Amino acid sequence: MKKLVIKSIVYFVSILVVLELLARVFHLHSEDPQRFIDPNEVEKRVPNSEGFAVTGNRNQNFSKFRINHSGFNSFREFNPSFSNTEIALIGDSFIEGFHEDYDKSIGKKIEEQLNNKTEVYEYGYAGYDLSNQLHLLQAYAEEFEKIDYIIIYLDYRTDLNRDTYTPDRERIQTLASPIFKIRDRFKIILYASRIGVLDPIQELIIKATPQKKAIESKWNHEENRDSLLLNNFKTLCSKYPINYTKTFFLIDGRKTPSSFLDYCNVNNIKYLDYGKIFKETDLPTTLIYDQHWNNHGRSLIAKLISDSLPTKD
Amino acid sequence: MLFNSIEYIVFLPIAFGLYWLVFKSNLKAQNLLLVVLSYVFYGYWDWRFLTLIFLSTVVDFIIGKKIYTANKKSSKKWLWTSVLFNIGILGFFKYFNFFVDSFSKMLNIFGYDNQDNLTLNIILPVGISFYTFQTLSYSLDIYRKKLTPTHDFIAFAAFVSFFPQLVAGPIERASRLLPQILHKRSFSYTQAKDGMKLMLWGLFKKIAIADALAPIVDDIFVNYTQLSSPVLIMGAVFFGFQIYCDFSGYSDIAIGTSKMFGIELTSNFKFPYFSRNIAEFWRRWHISLSTWFRDYLYIPLGGSKGEKSNTIRNIFVIFLVSGFWHGANWTFIFWGGFHALLFVPLFLSNKNRVFIEGTVGGNSILPSIKEILQILSTFTLVTISWVFFRASSVNVAFEYLTKLFSSPNFEPYPHPLGYRWLDYFVLLGLFLCYEYFIRRDERNPIPFRSRAIRFLLYVLLVFGMLLMYDDHIDRSFIYFQF
Repeated sequence: MKKLVIKSIVYFVSILVVLELLARVFHLHSEDPQRFIDPNEVEKRVPNSEGFAVTGNRNQNFSKFRINHSGFNSFREFNPSFSNTEIALIGDSFIEGFHEDYDKSIGKKIEEQLNNKTEVYEYGYAGYDLSNQLHLLQAYAEEFEKIDYIIIYLDYRTDLNRDTYTPDRERIQTLASPIFKIRDRFKIILYASRIGVLDPIQELIIKATPQKKAIESKWNHEENRDSLLLNNFKTLCSKYPINYTKTFFLIDGRKTPSSFLDYCNVNNIKYLDYGKIFKETDLPTTLIYDQHWNNHGRSLIAKLISDSLPTKD
Repeated sequence: MLFNSIEYIVFLPIAFGLYWLVFKSNLKAQNLLLVVLSYVFYGYWDWRFLTLIFLSTVVDFIIGKKIYTANKKSSKKWLWTSVLFNIGILGFFKYFNFFVDSFSKMLNIFGYDNQDNLTLNIILPVGISFYTFQTLSYSLDIYRKKLTPTHDFIAFAAFVSFFPQLVAGPIERASRLLPQILHKRSFSYTQAKDGMKLMLWGLFKKIAIADALAPIVDDIFVNYTQLSSPVLIMGAVFFGFQIYCDFSGYSDIAIGTSKMFGIELTSNFKFPYFSRNIAEFWRRWHISLSTWFRDYLYIPLGGSKGEKSNTIRNIFVIFLVSGFWHGANWTFIFWGGFHALLFVPLFLSNKNRVFIEGTVGGNSILPSIKEILQILSTFTLVTISWVFFRASSVNVAFEYLTKLFSSPNFEPYPHPLGYRWLDYFVLLGLFLCYEYFIRRDERNPIPFRSRAIRFLLYVLLVFGMLLMYDDHIDRSFIYFQF
């Protein structure tokens, strides 16, 4: 019995060590550049790093990212000026684009469609909601003053859950906690976590957290969710004044309630609806094993933006 | 509780520790622990159906003793009570809706329009087909004087509910399993180690192959009308591997777990896809069920003794009943009937017993050309039969097969989850080569003496599971539904 237990432990540890080596050799794990909150209370990535993001098992989607000097994944540095034409693209992971090579991003595609006469700055960060995005505009007001067009990606269902901005210190702290540090240090654990092997453990932990459940159930029973989200939108817009002459919301009209669209129309808030072009195309617009836009989806978004802005020659 | 779940990973070491460290000196306490563990294991899925297992245990425990002590006439009555009780439970939970629905359709044919929906919303208790057959064999063996009834209720309850094989077999005979439960067991390092190896191999087959093929098979069988022959062939072949790796993987984990508790279970699979004819396939596929039907149905019906026409009838009976055992659907009956049609010519030409001994390839490294052709032809026929088994209805199965033989043009078929096809073909190729290598002993899947090679294989199996793991799918075992 003792022999079995000891040998099992030895084998278990040895197998883990070899698996760790294999995970590193085949780069199965995804790198997640470190997050931080800058002095302006903006959540972003620690500047100046490069790496590879992996989606799915067996390296199904393998892409290179580059965190620029400003702390965002982009092929270029952000140096806006009044003399040039610039577009700022602000959003969550869809704009951050870790699922694509940074030099094939939506920004790059827009620039190509605009004959490389316009610079596109991608302020994407996984987890951004509208409050993050508007706070970013306010925190770097001087920078955005020089930028000619601002496109804000808005997923109505998920980006309007709060009406005021507070930096998510808890998330930063959680990611810096010993458990996450261990996870990030051991690539095989990171890989297992990414592909869902560890989901049952996480689910067990969530099940054992009744407080969180109670909050979720309260939210689910909210009857007037759409109107609440619209109110949050209105509150955010009043707290963080937006220059509506140069700002566009990028939305999926198929998933956005008409009350919001009506409100935008009445108040001259401009929006670009990519839902229409996504509906018309025969080809898939998202990765199959991931909700993010694939190359075709990104091309359609880039075309929509470049066609809609008056900068195109 | 699933073998491939986090709950089982927690459950097994606790059960193992309690079994060998806390209760090892007292057989009764150890058996009681087995019953408690088995009820926890089963109750984790749905505790309400524990009453059914308990009822079945109590009834057959009492009836077993009655059969043994009663005179011949009364003992037959008691046997029939056991048969009717077990088949009654099975019939109600598994076949009630099927019979009512079929009866209703038959009435429609004769012009009676039955508007009332007579079917009930019945949940099928997991493993019911397995444990009812196991308890039934206890009563039958006592009646046939092959077994004396036990007076130890706890041991009998452990025999009925023994958790490794409770929900999907192997279906154990009381004459084999009960003595092991009644006698003191001592821990064996070799037995436990072999058990762990079997569990690893079974998990690999389930996670890396069966679960990886599942979304492809599901997609092809749903969209078969729009797909070309090569894709439909791939769908049927992949299902053949899916169901084999799913079910034999379960059996390996069950046998392996059981070994860890000092109990040996019957082998359920012996590399069936290396069979050289259908008769050999049935000696290698779901062995515990086919031998059950052989001993308790085929032989009592007369077996192969007497007129050939009677034997042919008996062959059809066991194959049709075997098909029906799998589920209340005509597809399974067609599947069984198809196998009977394949078996009868072998019987008539006296070739049904030519491959009783030995394995393909004998002691040589490679099989002969003749053997390869025999394996391929058997595999093709078995694959065709799987279409009936997998299809949602008999009509769908025939449409699938018609399409399979009539749309030869190859049209690209993207993986439903976006993965590379090459991975699957490489995996299946390596799997087949390895299975061929270990084909002589199904209970020793990692037979290497070299510690380094064994270690390398452990790593590869775990790595294979991690590479092929997919969290988008239902992880339960296919045979849970039977």
